[in-house]
Amino acid sequence: MSNALLEVNELTINFGGLIAVNQLDMKVNTGEAVGLIGPNGAGKTSAFNLISGVYKPTHGQVFFDGENITGLTPYQVNRKGIGRTFQVVKPFGSMTVLENVMVGGFVHTSKRSKSREIAMQVIEQVDLKRKINSLAKNLTLSDRKRLEVAKALATQPKLLLLDEVLAGLNPTEIEEAVKMIKSINKSGISILMIEHVLQATMAICSHIVVLDYGKKIAEGTPQEVTSNPEVIKAYLGDDYEAVNN
Amino acid sequence: MDAVKTKKISLIVLFLVIGFIIPQFVTKPYYLHVITMCLLWAYLASSWNLFCGFAGQLSLGHGVFTAVGAYVAVMLFNDYNISPWIGMFAGAGAAVLLSILIGYPTFKLRGAYYALATVAIGSGVVVLIENTQALGPFRVGGAEGLIVKLMGNAPAFFQFMSKQPYYYIALVMLIIVVLFAFWLKNSRLGYYLSALKEDPEAAEALGINVRNAKLVAAAYSAFFTAIGGVYYAMLIRYLEPNAIAGPMMSNEMVFLAVVGGSGTVLGPVVGGITLHAISEVIQFYFGDLAQGLHLFIYGLIVVFMIMFKPQGIIEILQKYYNRFLGITDRGEDEKSVKRTAGS
Amino acid sequence: MDSLSVIVNGISMGAIYGLIALGLTLIFGIMKIINFAHGALLMLSMMCSYWTWKYTGINPYLLIIMIAPVMFVIGYSTERFFIKPVLDAQKDVREPIAVLLLTAAFAIVLENLSLMLFGADYVMAKTTVTDATIAFGGVTLSAARFYALIIALVISGGFYLFLQYTELGRKLRSCGQDRNTASLMGIDVPKTFAIAFGIGTALLAVAAITLLPFYYVHPTVGNVFMTKAFIVVVLGGLGSVPGALLGGIIIGLIESIGAQYMTATLTTVIVYAIFLLILFIKPSGLFGSRLEW
Repeated sequence: MSNALLEVNELTINFGGLIAVNQLDMKVNTGEAVGLIGPNGAGKTSAFNLISGVYKPTHGQVFFDGENITGLTPYQVNRKGIGRTFQVVKPFGSMTVLENVMVGGFVHTSKRSKSREIAMQVIEQVDLKRKINSLAKNLTLSDRKRLEVAKALATQPKLLLLDEVLAGLNPTEIEEAVKMIKSINKSGISILMIEHVLQATMAICSHIVVLDYGKKIAEGTPQEVTSNPEVIKAYLGDDYEAVNN
Repeated sequence: MDAVKTKKISLIVLFLVIGFIIPQFVTKPYYLHVITMCLLWAYLASSWNLFCGFAGQLSLGHGVFTAVGAYVAVMLFNDYNISPWIGMFAGAGAAVLLSILIGYPTFKLRGAYYALATVAIGSGVVVLIENTQALGPFRVGGAEGLIVKLMGNAPAFFQFMSKQPYYYIALVMLIIVVLFAFWLKNSRLGYYLSALKEDPEAAEALGINVRNAKLVAAAYSAFFTAIGGVYYAMLIRYLEPNAIAGPMMSNEMVFLAVVGGSGTVLGPVVGGITLHAISEVIQFYFGDLAQGLHLFIYGLIVVFMIMFKPQGIIEILQKYYNRFLGITDRGEDEKSVKRTAGS
Repeated sequence: MDSLSVIVNGISMGAIYGLIALGLTLIFGIMKIINFAHGALLMLSMMCSYWTWKYTGINPYLLIIMIAPVMFVIGYSTERFFIKPVLDAQKDVREPIAVLLLTAAFAIVLENLSLMLFGADYVMAKTTVTDATIAFGGVTLSAARFYALIIALVISGGFYLFLQYTELGRKLRSCGQDRNTASLMGIDVPKTFAIAFGIGTALLAVAAITLLPFYYVHPTVGNVFMTKAFIVVVLGGLGSVPGALLGGIIIGLIESIGAQYMTATLTTVIVYAIFLLILFIKPSGLFGSRLEW
């Protein structure tokens, strides 16, 4: 557990017979960006929900910063320093962008001015300043995803869990988002991201974990993973070919 | 910027002046009583709104809190001669405790189930009061209700011979609850409530202890609602279980807040005053025409407001307010205004 | 009363509660709306039946054929013209409480409309059934309650079969399970909703008529039954038809047996307590599906 920020051991959850996540071991080191990939239904989002406290694991532990955080509630996990986004974005629709982000900013301060300061900084970081007074429900998908990240960032996490923030974006938007995530990572926040857009994941992450049917089937550098015949054969298959072309 | 500020302040001053000089012009006790009731309902709707409007929880059982506040204060006064000025805080304290007791199990219930639970609790409390003659040394009075001991003109005991003091007390209470709502809306808790109203799961992921936030807000709401109950008791001087705790009390708060604009600072005030005034006027002029006419029209107004102006009267006023301030573009100003007066 | 009569009485009254709750549970199951105007609509049915009976003298039980269609139309139109617009406006709202409030306000409108039209008097359709009793196996039961029990059982059973085995029943259920998918399958969801609301209201007409010969009608009579219907529906499971009937009978039994040992009001408190307990421990009810909602 030397410099591991997040470490999960034998993480398992059982939904009435269906084992969504099975004996998962993985690590995210401080400052690192790790990708979690796998086909639909591989258990990626379940793994996120286990780490962030939405589900309680049937078996296994989650350690964060050397502390056992297994079984904490979502808000407690957040306060330990793990921010997360949701696959289906959850903006607070009738609040403005600034207010949305300030909600996150309030976690570490009760002062409005301080929260606003944090929010402004984060909004700049994700390049949403142009929309600062728009209602969240009026944003485009790409901006909603940025907002989702901004809200999580405003809670000043050490680790950011990103659940498919690139899905549904067009190539230009993906390029911008990749740049944004990289800069977040560079600013010292470790990242664990679930993604379907493989090329982008590889551009961001130095380490990739592959899940299938709830089990880890491979991990390593992007090169190692993509050249792993089992990974390609088992489920990346045509998808990966398509991306490479 | 400064012109806007001046206009805002002058508007506030104008309303305060009107509020304070009304009794100079309205001298007939009946009319002053009606206006006082408007203020009381605006106050109660605002108190309900503190939790239910801000956090989007439909409580149809807030009559429980008016009842607890009123009964505790009146029992202390009747049997132990404790001034209602002090007793009201005992009553409010009891309501806060009760709100936490009710909140713990109910806050995990979703929308409709929560509403149903509050209905059941409200109805249950009415039945309990109706069947309690005495509680230890205190007389409760059961279904016949409880008469407030008369002291004549006794300001120290919240009793006055004229209607004027009641009016001013209601006005001050209303001002306090509005200031509190304004503070709450702009505080950390206010942001938390707005967030969890829209998406509790997302709020939780941002480090918000959703249940705690709800409990605290509900406690504030219960506190203010209970004080309103005490005031009602001292104004009417008679507690009838069904009137103080029953569905009429509980639902009225909700309707007034929603028609005015629930979840906004001033909406419930606007709703409370206008809707109650309309209902009183109809009753006064057409009351003899047909029994139930005023409530019939009242119900229709609520129905049509929900259908056509679900954001409440405040949404209409907002437009005129902005025009008055000279704000047209979607700028920073509009936002700050909105948070003050509206959504 | 001997214990058997107490039980039979409880069951018969409970069956009526179940019948009233049937419409509520149907509307909830399909539209996910709690209809706070349900009690007022019951009152309206009772008023309409009473006044029709008074002026025509037709046997109350035969009135079902007349009143039920009228109530269906009232329910259908209410949904179409009042509820649907609000429902549409709240499409993307997480917990559409506006509709709930709308029905509550609608209840006030109906109650006071009937106060204006019919006055605040307590009236009852005293027919030959009112004072008649039926005895079998040593149990004496008022005829009106006996007929009520039979009608409630037949209607609930028939309604259950209707939902399970007819085309319309399947349409209704599919909208309840997933309105979006149902819509994709070519079902006219808004129309189905209106029909559901209409049927739910028409069922009230049946309940109203079973009550008519032995229960006083007045503008707020609905409140008594609505709170009970809520309790019954949560007890049986929101959306469950057999649950409504069984829940109703359970409540009826608690009330009639409880009345032997304590005051009626205390029984009411116990009923509320059971209701809250179920709500906290198993909100899906005793017989409800575990579908999350």
